Amino acid sequence: MMRVAALLALIALAILIATAAHLDGATATMFSLAGMPALAAALGLYVIHRWRMGAFRRNSRASNS
Amino acid sequence: MTPAPAGPLFISPPVEPVVDWPRVLPVLVALPAVAILAWGLVRGRLPPAAGVAGLVLPIAAYGLGMLMLMEDSKDVRFCGSCHVMTPIVESMHATDDSSLAAIHYSRGLVPTAEACFTCHSGYGIWGTVGAKRAGVMHMLRSLTGRYHLPLELNGTFDINSCLGCHAGAATFRAVAAHQDPDVQQALLSHAVTCTGACHPAAHPEEALTGGKAPS
Repeated sequence: MMRVAALLALIALAILIATAAHLDGATATMFSLAGMPALAAALGLYVIHRWRMGAFRRNSRASNS
Repeated sequence: MTPAPAGPLFISPPVEPVVDWPRVLPVLVALPAVAILAWGLVRGRLPPAAGVAGLVLPIAAYGLGMLMLMEDSKDVRFCGSCHVMTPIVESMHATDDSSLAAIHYSRGLVPTAEACFTCHSGYGIWGTVGAKRAGVMHMLRSLTGRYHLPLELNGTFDINSCLGCHAGAATFRAVAAHQDPDVQQALLSHAVTCTGACHPAAHPEEALTGGKAPS
């Protein structure tokens, strides 16, 4: 799950860099309709991963892996 | 068409920044995030500090990217980069007073770099928000092909965009038709618009049909 989250975040960042390098209608559409959902999905997966590892329990000793 | 005269005097805005920070900052923040996430992708886990950085940096990069997009998408070149808008932006360069947009653009009556945004957004922060919301809908329509030619304005044009500049102008106030109370009431109630009866169309019909002659 951690690898999928990292991959989605990397895709989102690649779209961001492409948008900054050449801003036009196509890259802006990619940024808004593909990059942002990919980043949101990555963050969601990361939070679920951390939750399953017990990070949000009281006195949790879960690792950050 | 005669070639446009060149030279630093004709560049707007006249002083270009050495570093385009709105475009550079998101990349500067994104690059360390890419390194951390690539590390996480290979190893399948991250140390605590790197995990926090891998979470915060992409969010910060996207926040800066959104600011960049908000600002740079006001540019006329951005508006004209979608195929359906290209003929409209090209038609603004006409010098024959064939459309209101061409009159304003070719005479420098609106900031030439942000001409589309100047007339198609309201005033204040909510005007900008409304224009950006409309821009997202344009993206969706372009992506799904759900637009129809000839292009038509969604709703009525907000003449406050015109009055923001013209209402206080002596030449505007001096026109007898503008002083007529009935005309004023009709304009402010959106019963009539500036274009059509009195002033030329905002954009030529050919441009609204995608550059083809109207049938």
